Amino acid sequence: MKHYKKMVYPYVAWISVMVVAPMLLIMFYAFTKDGNAVLDFVFTLENFKKFFSDTIFISVLGRSLKIAVITTVICLAVGYPAGYFISKCADGVKMKWILLITFPTWINMMVRTYAWRGILQDDGIINKFFGLFGLGPVPMLNTGFAVVLGMVYNFLPFMIIQIYTSLAKLDTSLLEAAADLGANKTKSFLRITLPLSIPGVLSGITLVFLPAVSSFYIPEMLGGGRYYMIGNLIETQFLTTENWNFGSAVSLIMVIIIIVSMYFTGKADKTEIMEQRGN
Amino acid sequence: MKKRFMITALVMALIASCFSGCGGAKEKLKLYIWGEYLGEDVISNFEKEYNCRVIVEYFDSNEMMYTKLAGGSAYDVLVPSDYMIERLINEKMLQPIDKSAIPNISLLADGVKNMGYDPDNTYSVPYFWGTCGIVYNKNNVDYSDLENEGFGIMKNPKYKGKLYMYNSSRDSFMIALKQLGYSCNTENENEINEAYKWLIELDEATEPVYVTDLVIDSMAQGEKDLAIMYSGDAAYVLGENENMSYYTPACGTNIWCDAMVIPTNAENPTLANKFINYMLTKEACMDNTLTVGYTSPNAEVLAEVTAEGGDYAENEAYLPRTYALDEIYHDNETIRRLTNDLWTKIVANE
Repeated sequence: MKHYKKMVYPYVAWISVMVVAPMLLIMFYAFTKDGNAVLDFVFTLENFKKFFSDTIFISVLGRSLKIAVITTVICLAVGYPAGYFISKCADGVKMKWILLITFPTWINMMVRTYAWRGILQDDGIINKFFGLFGLGPVPMLNTGFAVVLGMVYNFLPFMIIQIYTSLAKLDTSLLEAAADLGANKTKSFLRITLPLSIPGVLSGITLVFLPAVSSFYIPEMLGGGRYYMIGNLIETQFLTTENWNFGSAVSLIMVIIIIVSMYFTGKADKTEIMEQRGN
Repeated sequence: MKKRFMITALVMALIASCFSGCGGAKEKLKLYIWGEYLGEDVISNFEKEYNCRVIVEYFDSNEMMYTKLAGGSAYDVLVPSDYMIERLINEKMLQPIDKSAIPNISLLADGVKNMGYDPDNTYSVPYFWGTCGIVYNKNNVDYSDLENEGFGIMKNPKYKGKLYMYNSSRDSFMIALKQLGYSCNTENENEINEAYKWLIELDEATEPVYVTDLVIDSMAQGEKDLAIMYSGDAAYVLGENENMSYYTPACGTNIWCDAMVIPTNAENPTLANKFINYMLTKEACMDNTLTVGYTSPNAEVLAEVTAEGGDYAENEAYLPRTYALDEIYHDNETIRRLTNDLWTKIVANE
């Protein structure tokens, strides 16, 4: 068994070069100032001060969290019933549903998001349809609506699959026992199905919330630069304004937010399991 | 374990050196240029004529090019923009071109010779040039508004929600400063703050969409009525959509020029000079301008494509009209940092 451990070395090498080293560089840049030169650097906390002392940056952070929360709530509201429904289907039908849901992810995310531009724009198909009744054009592209729509569209499959997986593993004999003991459908759902699906819900939330809060491509494509999120702020610092130090500081703040939210979902997950065991 | 790793590394190195060595028979030229900036056949024709091999690498910003060059990468020919050439000259990173090897320099149009960033063309030979201006839909925008308001049309509430701004601090501050009657190279912080206010007002008055390359296709499809664009990109849009036209206000704008230069660490300066000379020929310039759509520096090509029946005969953007107040951009690091920070706040503003 022991020599199998060696097989992990390539991965360790990979992760050191591709993940750890860049992270260290980002930390280095975040705490230094004056350009991108690595040779003559000055340590500073200015980049962090700059972020927290300006209401504009705080409002960008607030906007990102808001949009990510809205996206997550919608995904959960749509995804839970969908996952529940699929888990109740016959085996063959299940696979077809799962295939249908994962089908769009076979196409590159950027292409799919770009396609929404054509659907939502002022002379796109939706507005052409409205036009038949003499309505519109309703501006949809470059609004918050378009950004949330793009995110729900892109991240919903993650939520459904997670919830479906946890519900599919559910031991049906528990439900039979509940029915035997006189619980009606609502009660057995609330007391058995729901609590047992919580781990799936939590990992679904993580898988939707994290990419949503740090997304930059969707707000740029569908928000037209008017729905500026934290990911866009980071992107701008690196690509257009060349302030790598500030960009790195914002990235680091982002990493901390993500770690904190993962800690809490992880904790909720554990308490949930503990409670179930306690019962 | 370690030994095995060393052996693998050694074998890999040997294979790599073999690959790079195999093509060594011909002379090599390393070219570092903007993406989508070359005619279809110019490189292969040059390779045939001079029996050499051209290795082309692409950059998408002057700053990216600078970082790579400063990091020690060796190229024979670079094609950066005016202000970057000025910086490279100041930092002694360029070598003078050999004018005796470049007789075709006489083919250049008058307007692109001896521009401010390199007054005697000691170090650089123009490749493409143009201005920054307004692309507008002739059917939906009143020409009188353009004439009366200049760049100020971008904050006219009449066109709210119908315009694109270019997501670049340099170009946006340029239009604000020019509109306010200042130099786009101002070092006066009050003037810059005034321009910042102007841009914030614009953001609130017309709610523009901030885009970069997306603007090209979007305007070609006529999604909006007004956009700030480079003349070369505008020429493409005008070619695709006949409703579009191009306007440069009389308050002046930025004239830019991308030019060929030879860095001091070039490995093959002789071939580099030959390449520059070749790129000025009518054949190469014609191929470049017809493929890319940017304005040629070659006088004869310019005359031919804008003459009646030429490819850009009725294209207002291809040969943009210029004004006395037009300026070349000069890079100033302090000012650049300041405007970059302000620009971040403008786009993040809701």
